[in-house]
Amino acid sequence: MLHLSKKMRFLPYVLILPAFLLIFIFKLYPIITTLLESVVIDSEFSLEAYIDLSEDSSFWNSLWITIKINLVMIPLQVLIAFLVALLVNSTIKGVGIFRTIFYLPVTISLTIACLVWNIMLNPNSGVVNSILNLAGIPSQDFFISKSQALWCIVLVATWKGVGYWMMFILAGLKNIDVAIYESAKIDGAGWWKMVTRITVPLLKKVLLFVFVANTTANILLFVPMQVITGGGPQESTNVLMFEAYQSAFKYGDRPRSSAIVVILLVLIVLICLFQALLLNEKEEGKKK
Amino acid sequence: MMTRKSRRYLKNALIYICLFLVAILTLFPLIWGISASLRDDSELFGYIMPFSVHTLIPVEFTFQAYIDLFTKYGFFTPVKNTVLVTGISIIFGCIVNSVAAFAFAVFDFKFKKPLFALVLLSFMIPFEAIALPLYKVVDNMHMVDTYRGMILPSIASGLVLFLFVQFFRDIPPDLLDAARVDGAGIGRIYMSILLPLSKPIFITAALMIFMDQWNSYLWPLLIARSKGIRTVQIALTAFSTEHKTAWSALYAGSMFSALIPLVLFLPLQKYFVQGITSSGVKG
Repeated sequence: MLHLSKKMRFLPYVLILPAFLLIFIFKLYPIITTLLESVVIDSEFSLEAYIDLSEDSSFWNSLWITIKINLVMIPLQVLIAFLVALLVNSTIKGVGIFRTIFYLPVTISLTIACLVWNIMLNPNSGVVNSILNLAGIPSQDFFISKSQALWCIVLVATWKGVGYWMMFILAGLKNIDVAIYESAKIDGAGWWKMVTRITVPLLKKVLLFVFVANTTANILLFVPMQVITGGGPQESTNVLMFEAYQSAFKYGDRPRSSAIVVILLVLIVLICLFQALLLNEKEEGKKK
Repeated sequence: MMTRKSRRYLKNALIYICLFLVAILTLFPLIWGISASLRDDSELFGYIMPFSVHTLIPVEFTFQAYIDLFTKYGFFTPVKNTVLVTGISIIFGCIVNSVAAFAFAVFDFKFKKPLFALVLLSFMIPFEAIALPLYKVVDNMHMVDTYRGMILPSIASGLVLFLFVQFFRDIPPDLLDAARVDGAGIGRIYMSILLPLSKPIFITAALMIFMDQWNSYLWPLLIARSKGIRTVQIALTAFSTEHKTAWSALYAGSMFSALIPLVLFLPLQKYFVQGITSSGVKG
């Protein structure tokens, strides 16, 4: 650490001031206002917005859809990211090119991904149906089907997301000492045994991080609903984030929107606490 | 019994098959998009069903869609806006965050720990979670539909600040001390010692800010209300309602906006991946 003379004591505060001012105004203050907005109606304290929500079936429907899509999508993305990371971690020739290819969707916006997939998944003139027909499978309805739309969103988000989460897992894999595998091989362990007994336990911390970071990101998934489905068909893709957006910008109901945002924030905090708890537990276990 | 060698061949073949399958799935939308952007609308729909070679490969290549995009559909304005917003965000984002990180990394001061905890907290909250309430804050500051409104909220980034701190901490303190003894002021130390040593982290930071701003959708959707100020992502999502049948041009716009970050990413991949993963593994 550099020492500062008494006259210069204030310097670090000057240096961090611009960043903190911006963080406060644009990151922390909005959270405070949304908390207030959700409980202060006509300048009086009121839980009306929350009570209304609790009696509102479309809110419960949105909450359920948000949970449902994440319950499927997060494990799916982490699993695929893990498997692809294993593939790319091999020392086979030309593997670097494949790794770069798998990273490409990371640089492409979800908006573009949605636009292109939406046209490809068009029921009447989409190329995906054309390929399905080629394989003898009849055309599907995809985004206009109540039962398929949500899973098509999972497909698009997974296409876009896997490369990103793979980066973390791959970085974790690189940290594992190769010698461990070699000694396991000498002991006659097969591929499956090595993955489940060595790789997964050693990657626990990274995998947990990916799980949590992925969940906090996707619990707020919004773009596919805005660009493709509009929450439909028949509310089947109407996640909480979209509902909050609609409440604020389509129906002008700010208290309702704020209350939903607060609920989303609480969910995110709970997930982060859950991660911290699991990590602590493990570190204490190590000490023993 | 299989020999060792043939077993290794079999294993490698299996890995290659898997790699190829994943690569095809990953690349297909891009190949499809690029191919569709290089052909006529009529040709595009004529060859989709049944599936044939010409579903993917244009019969007649044409750059017309890209030309139309800029001449007929006014794509220049959103591109200019996006470049402006992204460029200014990178410059100010790098300055504000690196200066604050400099203070955290090389000085001891009161309340340093709680202040730094605040930084960490601010990047654990995803932007989407505060976007809706943030709109009201920015609206009260009369910055809706302005460049300032698009740029200011994203300049201070907990993640970028954190990455700078990580990097600056690894710079040997002796180097800074020696400069101090030689009488260099704090400004000089930052400019002539820290900056030249920190090129990689500045590239990482610039690249991360670029990806964030170039690809951002929700915030410009809320804030860029008028046509003259909107960004590429917004212009593209509005495209299909504004120009109903211009499919090739929509593809051309999508590919244009996808290829620019990609072209930047390819040579700088190392910096980007390192930056992203170190935030997760260490944080």
